[in-house]
Amino acid sequence: MQALKRSLEILKSSPALFILLLGFGLFPIYTSLVDLPFWNDVSMRIMLLGMAALGLNLVLGFGGMVSFGHAAFIGIGAYSVGISQFYGIDNGWLHILFALLFCAAIGLVIGFLALRTKGIYFIMITLAFAQMLYFFFVSLEVFGGDDGMGVDRAEFLIIDLWDPLRLYYLIWMALFAVCLLLLLIINSRFGVILQGIKDNESRIEAMGLSALRFKIIAYVLSAAVCGLAGALFANWQEYVSPDIMHWSRSGELMIVIVLGGLSYIAGPLIGAIVFFLLEEFLPEFLYFIAPDYSENWMIIFGPMLIAVVLFTKGGLMAIFDQLHRRITRRQDTT
Amino acid sequence: MTKVSLELKDISKSYGALRASHKLCLSVNKGEIHALIGPNGAGKTTLIKQIYGSEQPDSGQILLNGELINNTSPSVRVRKGIGRSFQISNVLLGFTVLQNALIAELARKGKVFRFFSPAFSDPSLLTGASDILGKVGLLHQSEKLAAEISHGERRLLELALAIATNPQLLLLDEPLAGAGAEESRHITSIIETLKSQHATLLIEHDMDAVFKLADRITVLVEGKTIASGTPDEISNNSVVRNAYLGDGD
Repeated sequence: MQALKRSLEILKSSPALFILLLGFGLFPIYTSLVDLPFWNDVSMRIMLLGMAALGLNLVLGFGGMVSFGHAAFIGIGAYSVGISQFYGIDNGWLHILFALLFCAAIGLVIGFLALRTKGIYFIMITLAFAQMLYFFFVSLEVFGGDDGMGVDRAEFLIIDLWDPLRLYYLIWMALFAVCLLLLLIINSRFGVILQGIKDNESRIEAMGLSALRFKIIAYVLSAAVCGLAGALFANWQEYVSPDIMHWSRSGELMIVIVLGGLSYIAGPLIGAIVFFLLEEFLPEFLYFIAPDYSENWMIIFGPMLIAVVLFTKGGLMAIFDQLHRRITRRQDTT
Repeated sequence: MTKVSLELKDISKSYGALRASHKLCLSVNKGEIHALIGPNGAGKTTLIKQIYGSEQPDSGQILLNGELINNTSPSVRVRKGIGRSFQISNVLLGFTVLQNALIAELARKGKVFRFFSPAFSDPSLLTGASDILGKVGLLHQSEKLAAEISHGERRLLELALAIATNPQLLLLDEPLAGAGAEESRHITSIIETLKSQHATLLIEHDMDAVFKLADRITVLVEGKTIASGTPDEISNNSVVRNAYLGDGD
């Protein structure tokens, strides 16, 4: 209870996150007013990708570990739903529990092995593990192999998900919980030391702390968050295939984080929103000026990403942060 | 009851043909400053690294309070009572001075695997952190980022972080490196006031500071001890004068 009170206090200190969560919460009202329910679907997709990116950002942004294999955990989370249903387990809470447990367990094994390396070796090892898992699911003919398997929207005891809005608010609540949890963690004793390790690992070791333990725990937590996103993703898509854990999705998560700003909790969410809007509208824009190339919207997106990285020094959130500071300073002086 | 805090027995370490440490024996007692001097490349920092645990000796024993610690990692040795300051300032540059001290205080107190208790607003941690900064006279810079303070102040912060864990054995690797004359005097006086609480092994090139601080001095040349004794003995030792200190005229 105290943790909840504290997390709400912290939420006040992060207005961007507060606005984003509120916005996601109110969005379906807007779409029903303008009668565009399709946009609820987009919003759900943004929240899910944002949630996974938030999970990755715990290790990438706050722990300084560039993991290039987090799509694997989304996949494991999604397959936890599919495979559970395959064996007749229909309870959605159980699916989520399995997703969290499997991702934490596999995250522990991968983290334990991979976190002994640093820099480029760590990137490559996490990618290698993710590729192993990808091809593992490709080869599992029982569960559809390459073609994947259909998934029914799960039953969550009291709530079933026949109405898409219920799924929307389930995802929203999960996102809200993940945001609060991460806010608490990065301000906690554990989180502060994790950020210390990112800053200067040898100093943290010289204080008598084993950096490896902190990194492994952060890795496990981040894997579990991606697993949760994956489990909800399977419900949203009503379909699971190895495609969900393709290596390019790991890259997508990193792009989303870098775009939004990796030293901010709200960064990955902003990144996910902008990324999806661009993915939606850049092809249309390209179709308008060069119809043959509308599929290659990344040609424009790439330079935009580079510009954000070069000029904002900390992603889109850095701009918001500066604005916020300027406003509060003006309030202080008046 | 013995007062010997650190004891090295026949420590040897080679990198290929280069002998960094050759059968070194040395001890540091509580309340004592034992200085290690010698020309560049004499193996002083290598010896500190072996005591700290980031390098392993090829042979020999390292005893901390009588306990053999050869096969332990640096973080374990720190928990057993070793504090180290680095030759090149090794602080958390992205954090404020106070936060640096607070994280060190947190590490000392333990209970670090708490995922929901706030760190930077914890009153007891803040008090502890202020105490640490007070010891080196850096309280006035608490709110500055460690990256933004002067070089000399960063040397002070480095020293503060080394003593923050309340170590029995303090390893100081050139605490005055790069500090100005005024700052050097300040840091020297702080090391002197801390002396009684720790056993200190000091590497320093500033001979004024060494002869002011040290109770015992060991002179290292090419990995070998060529002399060891009180400051008076060392300054009158002809071998040392030829090898390192110069004739003085």
